[in-house]
Amino acid sequence: MAAVLQAKNLEKYYGNKNNLTKALDGISFSVGAGEFLGVMGASGSGKTTLLNCLSTIDAVTAGQILIGGRDITTMSGKTLARFRRETLGFIFQDFNLLDTLTAFENIALALTILRRPAKTIETQVREVAAVLGITDVLAKFPAQMSGGQRQRVASARAIVTAPALVLADEPTGALDSKSARALLESFQHLVRARGATILMVTHDPFSASYCRRILFIRDGRIFQELVRGDESRKEFFDQIIEVVSLLGGDRDELR
Amino acid sequence: MNSAELALRNVRKSLRDYAIYFMTMTIGICIFYVFNSLGSQQAVMELSGAQSLTMRMLDRLVGGFSLFISLILCFLIIYANGFLIKRRKKEFGLYLTLGMERGQIARILALETLFMSLAALVAGLLLGALLAQGMALVTASLLGVKIGGFHFIFSLAAAGKTVVYFGLAFGLTLFFNMWQLKRQHLIDLLYAGRQNERSRAPHPPVAAALFLLSLLILAAAYLITAARLYQSPLLLYALLALGAVGTFLFFFSLAGFLFTALRRTKLYLRDLNMFVLRQLSSKINTAYVSIALVCLMLFLSICSLSSGLGLARAINEDLRANAPYDATLILRSKNGGPFAPAGLPAAAEENGANLAGFAAASGAAVFREAADLNLNFTAGREKASLYLLGLTEYNAALALQGAPPVTLPPDKYALNIGASGADWDKALGQFTAGGGEITLGGRSLSTESALWRHYVLEVSTRSNTDIVVVAADELVAGRPALKEVLFINYPQPDLTYEQKCLAALSEPDIRAADGAELSALVETRIQVADYTGNSTATIGYLAIYMGAVFLLASATVLAIGQLSEASDNIRRYRLLSQLGADAKMLQQALFRQILIYFGAPLLLALVHSAVGIKAAGAIMLKVGGFHILGASIVSALIMVLVYGGYFFATYRGGKNMVGL
Repeated sequence: MAAVLQAKNLEKYYGNKNNLTKALDGISFSVGAGEFLGVMGASGSGKTTLLNCLSTIDAVTAGQILIGGRDITTMSGKTLARFRRETLGFIFQDFNLLDTLTAFENIALALTILRRPAKTIETQVREVAAVLGITDVLAKFPAQMSGGQRQRVASARAIVTAPALVLADEPTGALDSKSARALLESFQHLVRARGATILMVTHDPFSASYCRRILFIRDGRIFQELVRGDESRKEFFDQIIEVVSLLGGDRDELR
Repeated sequence: MNSAELALRNVRKSLRDYAIYFMTMTIGICIFYVFNSLGSQQAVMELSGAQSLTMRMLDRLVGGFSLFISLILCFLIIYANGFLIKRRKKEFGLYLTLGMERGQIARILALETLFMSLAALVAGLLLGALLAQGMALVTASLLGVKIGGFHFIFSLAAAGKTVVYFGLAFGLTLFFNMWQLKRQHLIDLLYAGRQNERSRAPHPPVAAALFLLSLLILAAAYLITAARLYQSPLLLYALLALGAVGTFLFFFSLAGFLFTALRRTKLYLRDLNMFVLRQLSSKINTAYVSIALVCLMLFLSICSLSSGLGLARAINEDLRANAPYDATLILRSKNGGPFAPAGLPAAAEENGANLAGFAAASGAAVFREAADLNLNFTAGREKASLYLLGLTEYNAALALQGAPPVTLPPDKYALNIGASGADWDKALGQFTAGGGEITLGGRSLSTESALWRHYVLEVSTRSNTDIVVVAADELVAGRPALKEVLFINYPQPDLTYEQKCLAALSEPDIRAADGAELSALVETRIQVADYTGNSTATIGYLAIYMGAVFLLASATVLAIGQLSEASDNIRRYRLLSQLGADAKMLQQALFRQILIYFGAPLLLALVHSAVGIKAAGAIMLKVGGFHILGASIVSALIMVLVYGGYFFATYRGGKNMVGL
């Protein structure tokens, strides 16, 4: 399996030398093509910083990030914008759909920004919409949709350009459990049917149980890694819960 | 904490929302004050002095606009207020859930708006006073009018009127607010932010139909204008209402129509066009009223500017037509009736006037009674005076203004009509078709178009409506006179001759041959120049002034409307950037968005104006030479400068806001 993403010794420091915060403290990992990877961690663990650095929104203090073989830490302004739109897809917790555009237009926007020919856009949008089960709401505005539908529209927008890597930031954070399950199943489907590579940041064990592999981050370091083998999702979930309680609980700090 | 404190604190907290309310109100008040203080403007006073005609025209002009301005003020207040309420709904919902009563909330809201409005009132009046002063200087210099001894003017009367009107409008808005607050359910208040604003917009197919309807209405209004079917005031108002309705409908349906039209094209799915189109439609759908209003204001502005500048140019033309000689002395009987001619210029010389001292050339003509000729046409000018004049005297008068003489075939008479224009040609045509025959001295005479002339045969500030029948000398001789005119041309256009002439002819004691008392009137070209120059300049000044105020107001409303969207726009553009749209793409989208937003009302206003000015030009041509084309070009330049300036300022502001 070829690596889509390779992170080597990532460090990100905030503050000055008197008051230094190491948000990322030497993180290394890689993500293979067609993988569905979860990143878990408590608040302040550094998972958002990691995502920001991966998504080129923030710059690392030290280390290398290779996406599709290209080092994004050395890219500058214009190249970066181009790289971002051609190689990455984003899914946010609060959907971030444009309220003035219909679902169709929100998805098509990702393609028109890439200056894809107008003829092919409609078919591409409908194809992705069918995979995600949102064909019915294509003509609706975000305000007329449910949260789950909105997030699936946002997912369609992220995936329609066939990016090398999709970065999802707490995508189920604002969804009810039923919509969350539907969304995660569509993620699995996208990975299987379209060969998408998804990196999902979450703090919800249930959401994480849909991933094939999970990185647990604590204090800017990788604390543990879980890989789902042949276990059922239930068993995997139990494993996750165990690690999470270790992560956040700080058993040794309890007296 | 009492209501007043809470209200003050709220104003501070939502200062940004209130800033837009405040600015809109201030501009409204500013415009209102500026208009009502027109009469007390130094430049106007210096221009018009005691000339009653000018003052009357001024009153009429301002009076017509006054109603419109009041409406604009009222609209601006309600518009700004509506914007405010929309933003605050959620907060009011929160107060309600915390157990506050609706009455209390209403009181807080009323107090909040009161604080803000009072501040806006003060700011608006100050700004208005400044603007009025600045505009007065600019317009005056544009027309080459000198303002002596400049000092600052604050019109108390205008300020008082502004306060009263503003109070009324404010009361109305307050009532509107209370009513809205009472009507709303708590849930709607709490979730106001989430409601879909576009629900009010018509569906695209409906919009397309409405758009066509609006085009039909506008076309009808244009046709009526072009056919000049608006002679009575009632019809004129109906026409204006038709145009206004058409304009509102146009902008109400424009977005939907554009969407339907462009959706199937390739353009729609290129770059950020889709986004721009949706941005516009969401904006236009919520703000179509203000955009339509801006369009109407621009229309008025363009018309006003071009008429004002046109008038300024027409001054010289008027002068040439109304003052063909350096001076004339006109004798009439004091009781207004006919009299036996005194015999000019001899009578004047006898009176002690030394014509040779100031006149290089002179001549005299006796305009005789012609009421018994039954010459039956007036071309809508019932007040036109009818005279009879001998051919020799007529040709002499023409020669003095450098015009070729007329030769009369036997049994023919010539017509000289001071005014000219299509209407006169038509009337003359009809008259001749009906025979045009008159009986004079026992002979039957007729006329033909080759014998018609349009010359003014005296120096006068009034536009000339005399109809003069010119016939052979022997047929005219012996008839009683209605007026006797002495034509004078100076050796050179020089003030010394002017003074000599006025001294010699100002109050001559000339009596008619039958002893009747005569009144004498001397008017000179220099006097006419002063007078027409001044009165036309006054009107021109007002028109330019109003045009500029409308222009400023509309551009400001647009700019505010766009900037009030800033918070939403910042979010949207940031998202686009996250999706990978580069700076160039974003800039282009922002530019297009603002360009269309500014351009749409301007374009329609230009079409309105083209039709309106053509009609207005036709009216003015009837009155006197009026060159609207050149003026239109100059006003277009002014428009481009001011409006374009606002456009670029808004674009730059928008660019800064979204961080480009």
